[in-house]
Amino acid sequence: MSLRERLRRVSELATEFYVAPYRGVIARAHRDQDDLFMLFVFSELMGVPNPATYYMLELQPMLLERFHEWHVRMGMEHSPLDGFRCC
Amino acid sequence: MRPPTPVTPPPRAAALEPLLERRIVFVGGKGGVGKTTIAAALAVAAADRGRRCLVVSTDPAHSLGDVFDRAVGDTETLLADRLWGLEIDPDAAAGRHITAVKAQMKRLVHPRMYAEVDRQLELARLAPGTVEAALLERVAELMVQAGGRFDLVIFDTAPTGHTLRLLSLPEIMATWVEGLLRHRERSSRLASVLARLGRRPADLGEQSPSDDRPPHEDEARAAALTEMLAARQRKFRRARELLLDREATAFVLVLNPDKLSILESQKTLQSLGRVHVPVAALVVNRVLPEGAGGAFLEARRRQEGAYLIEIEEAFAPFPRVSLPLWPEDVRGLSALGRLGRYLSEATG
Repeated sequence: MSLRERLRRVSELATEFYVAPYRGVIARAHRDQDDLFMLFVFSELMGVPNPATYYMLELQPMLLERFHEWHVRMGMEHSPLDGFRCC
Repeated sequence: MRPPTPVTPPPRAAALEPLLERRIVFVGGKGGVGKTTIAAALAVAAADRGRRCLVVSTDPAHSLGDVFDRAVGDTETLLADRLWGLEIDPDAAAGRHITAVKAQMKRLVHPRMYAEVDRQLELARLAPGTVEAALLERVAELMVQAGGRFDLVIFDTAPTGHTLRLLSLPEIMATWVEGLLRHRERSSRLASVLARLGRRPADLGEQSPSDDRPPHEDEARAAALTEMLAARQRKFRRARELLLDREATAFVLVLNPDKLSILESQKTLQSLGRVHVPVAALVVNRVLPEGAGGAFLEARRRQEGAYLIEIEEAFAPFPRVSLPLWPEDVRGLSALGRLGRYLSEATG
């Protein structure tokens, strides 16, 4: 490994060292934001009244893939819905 | 047939003539006051004047077909030259919407989940609010089409409570969707910060399936979600703008000269004021004509006279039109035509 490559590697590691914790915070904030959005879209299914349920239906297909991870993260091991089994 | 003269000579031409120049007219009032007949007669009058007019019933108990004395369904039906009728079937509209969502879901899930998708969405079809939302969707679409495919769209609305709710929905929905769009904005800001920092699955301290997806796929999906919400938002906003636009839209309140009708109309005017929907005119329908014989009718007319004075006083700021009670039912195109001409005649 040349000196130049080594220096580059050190610089990368240093950047990672400083950036990683910050990135973790942002990544979690981003996920929390999206989880909250999931809650809005699927709220009626969880018994929370939502004035716009009908209009949320069309968003549900696009969020279906994330549904399983989401309900697990929300502390529900199995899908909260009888009619919406994904696991 | 010359219509009998009502008790109060009405300022009718001044009040109703400009209505037919609008793009959207809502005809509302308590159940049974004659909304459908007035809406249909206005529509015939507009078509007679060369305007392409669609008259739409939003009342789940449709009677538009009965007034025209022919079948009108959930598709635009030609009733006369330049005149179409439509009875919105919100259940059918909700069914179509849900079928479309189902099809889209099935493209995205494993075939073994198809039965679950069907079951879940069948429940959504029966959920409270579904029919209302489907109705609003249809009404909003037709409002936007007024001035395009049709010069004038006249809505024969359901009894007052439903209609007030319908008219307040665009604002409620717009506010709700706006909130969701703000969440989408925050999410996409965070995503772009993450992208600059170089996202790693390990950042969340867990390995979840979505982390395996390439980030561009997530981005495309996020953009599609936001666009869907934004499209909804535009539709609700446009409907709301049209509702409040005095030049484009008029609300006509129909009442009868009786106590209950007067009281309800007063409440309706207050509620419409609260949602800022302007009322263009009042139609006082079924006024006993002068000269209708018999002691019984004479007594009735005296009582009505008191109510007509009350109407004068209570609704002074609004243009009013009086229509007499006719000896026969107003039914069929030619009777509606006569009533329409009476409503819009140039000389009062």
